[in-house]
Amino acid sequence: MKQKMVVDDPVAGDSRLGPPSDPETLLEIRDLHTYFHVMDGTVKAVDGVTFSLKRGETLGLVGESGCGKSVTALTIMQLLDMPPGEIASGQIWFDGRDLLQLDSDDMRQVRGADIAMIFQEPMTSLNPVFTIGDQISEAIVLHQHVGKKEAWVRSIDALRSVGIPAPERRVKQYPHEMSGGIRQRVMIAMALSCNPKLLLADEPTTALDVTIQAQILELIKELQARTGAALLLITHDLAVVAETVQNVAVMYAGRIVETGTVEEVLLGPTHPYTQGLLNSIPALHKRGQELDVIKGVVPNPFRMPPGCKFEPRCPYSCDLCRTSEPELVAVPGRKSHSRCFLQTHEGAARRGDFERAAGSTVRGVMG
Amino acid sequence: MKGMTQATMSDNQPAPAASAVAQGGAPQILLEVRDLKTYYPIYGGLLRRRVGSVYAVDGVSLTINRGQTFGLVGESGCGKTTLGRTILRLEKATAGSVAMDGQDLLAMGGKELKRMRRRMQLIFQDPYASLNPRMPVSDVIGEGLLAQADAQNGWAKREVRDRRVADFLEAVGLRRDYTRRYPHEFSGGQRQRIGIARALSLNPEFVVCDEPVSALDVSIQSQILNLLSELRNEFNLTYLFIAHNLSVVQYFCERIGVMYLGKLVEVADTDDLYEHPRHPYSVALLSAIPVPDPRVRKKRLVLKGEVPSPANPPSGCRFHPRCWLRERLGNPEVCSTEDPALRDLGGGQMSACHFAEQVSVEAAQEAASRQSAIDTVAV
Repeated sequence: MKQKMVVDDPVAGDSRLGPPSDPETLLEIRDLHTYFHVMDGTVKAVDGVTFSLKRGETLGLVGESGCGKSVTALTIMQLLDMPPGEIASGQIWFDGRDLLQLDSDDMRQVRGADIAMIFQEPMTSLNPVFTIGDQISEAIVLHQHVGKKEAWVRSIDALRSVGIPAPERRVKQYPHEMSGGIRQRVMIAMALSCNPKLLLADEPTTALDVTIQAQILELIKELQARTGAALLLITHDLAVVAETVQNVAVMYAGRIVETGTVEEVLLGPTHPYTQGLLNSIPALHKRGQELDVIKGVVPNPFRMPPGCKFEPRCPYSCDLCRTSEPELVAVPGRKSHSRCFLQTHEGAARRGDFERAAGSTVRGVMG
Repeated sequence: MKGMTQATMSDNQPAPAASAVAQGGAPQILLEVRDLKTYYPIYGGLLRRRVGSVYAVDGVSLTINRGQTFGLVGESGCGKTTLGRTILRLEKATAGSVAMDGQDLLAMGGKELKRMRRRMQLIFQDPYASLNPRMPVSDVIGEGLLAQADAQNGWAKREVRDRRVADFLEAVGLRRDYTRRYPHEFSGGQRQRIGIARALSLNPEFVVCDEPVSALDVSIQSQILNLLSELRNEFNLTYLFIAHNLSVVQYFCERIGVMYLGKLVEVADTDDLYEHPRHPYSVALLSAIPVPDPRVRKKRLVLKGEVPSPANPPSGCRFHPRCWLRERLGNPEVCSTEDPALRDLGGGQMSACHFAEQVSVEAAQEAASRQSAIDTVAV
């Protein structure tokens, strides 16, 4: 079992609970809550997220804009503006330490060295007034405690390792002299320059063209396999997830609604939201037919539904869903976990409809 | 949409001349583009003289039949947006001709062009940037109506205009009473619906959709695609659908043009293009599409390098420096010396490759030989 969920455990989220018992667990997030206090009230961007990641494992975090997937990554890195942001509660166990208990100096040692991040926008995440050599060696000098000359040489090596031609020339260039694909390679080189144990990639290919996306995904997969770093890939694209990672967690309205292996989740989703996402993907064989849609829009963060957050858009909802929120529970006979009453005894009567639709999802994906 | 008839929506409008022809008979050509070129000047030196050109669109010919949805795909910077805007006369063409219903658009001016603009409209990519934040919806949509007001349609009157705005809000699935609201009060999907209502309120026949869903979330994307196809049927629209997402294009379009560096390299019916692409670039583009099925780990033809600058395109075939087929064939000289013309290969499929006949066979062998190829993973 790749994914170790502690949600069934009544003491999960209890701060007295120490580090994860399994030494193979690299990252374990327990009941994380990140809020933003804005003029109109409090936005609970991350509202009770729990998941874990083993060393060398690859996990995809999927969801639509505003579901809290990027905020989850920024909370791990503690790169939020506070205020208005606030990490209200929860624990982030990384390599035996709770990152939320570290002071800012210790956190700075972790950030960039043990955990590195690739951002979405290669255009805005590099500093335009420094050469890329300066920017890569800055992190190397800080974390690897070497001199500037040595750092410069390592920068060239880093650029070479991500397949940039003529790295000796490129290292002296400024970001504006490069195309989007090369800049994203520079970002990856920078992230990997200090041999991190965990790589957070936030929509690393969304801003890129499809042929360049294919190059970058191949590169990330190859480097991940070579360095053995764990990978948390954040994306809205289920196809990118299918090709890149082993396990997947689907987020909706600040919560994880389904987790499992890529095969389980994409071929046999157990949550209506995942099913809806998969069914709405356009494909050749659906031409001339209407696409299945998830009706409505994501709920207003100030007026969240009282029960299940997906209930207003869910085709399978019932009275229970309107009043109480389901837990993320193990799906019988599978490795998946699902936050839906359909997977518990309460929803057993309605499960037939859902599974018939799920059957069509599998056929649809297979095309 | 229900309860709204074609008659009420198109009142005060002359019936589209060709709507009768659209039923049955041979497909009728609505738009014909011939050897269209759009160059942008590059100025340099002390005197700011013209030192070169960006060849954004460089000799594109295509025809779109009435009622057809023509997809235009290609990477950013290949000129697909410029092509769409040049057809609508939003960019100045350097050479070539664009004819709609047999009338030369590029020769038109003044009132004649203004009347023509009513028949062709544009839906923009970014629903956040394309609506004026200081205008209520009634003005966002009504501005075009006011500009096109004449004695016949009576759009100069506020009540007439507002009623029409409300009609079209309803047609795109929004509430009639949203007319007094401002763009910031709407979500991305709703804003895109407003943009669509704006384009359709003038009763166009031809609509250029420039990446209409790429800024939207997956679940909203399918809602907008469904809306666009509903409206296509209801108003007999002809679309030029510009997109970089090939899954969307293959779902939505009947015929597809693939662009590379300002030129069309392949034009084919959707099924033909996806089943047997006849240009090495199309092969690579299709191979790059990720599929949401973990069992299919595709054997990818990952292209090397990036798109060259359109200010200084390669000699001969523009794709030759990145072409895998040229490499397989032992770098024939003709690729770097002669620019291949877009030629008909039969069955409505056209390709601009000197070796188009060999593409299918070689693509299969190339994919098999790629080192990075990963065999299909069994579940």
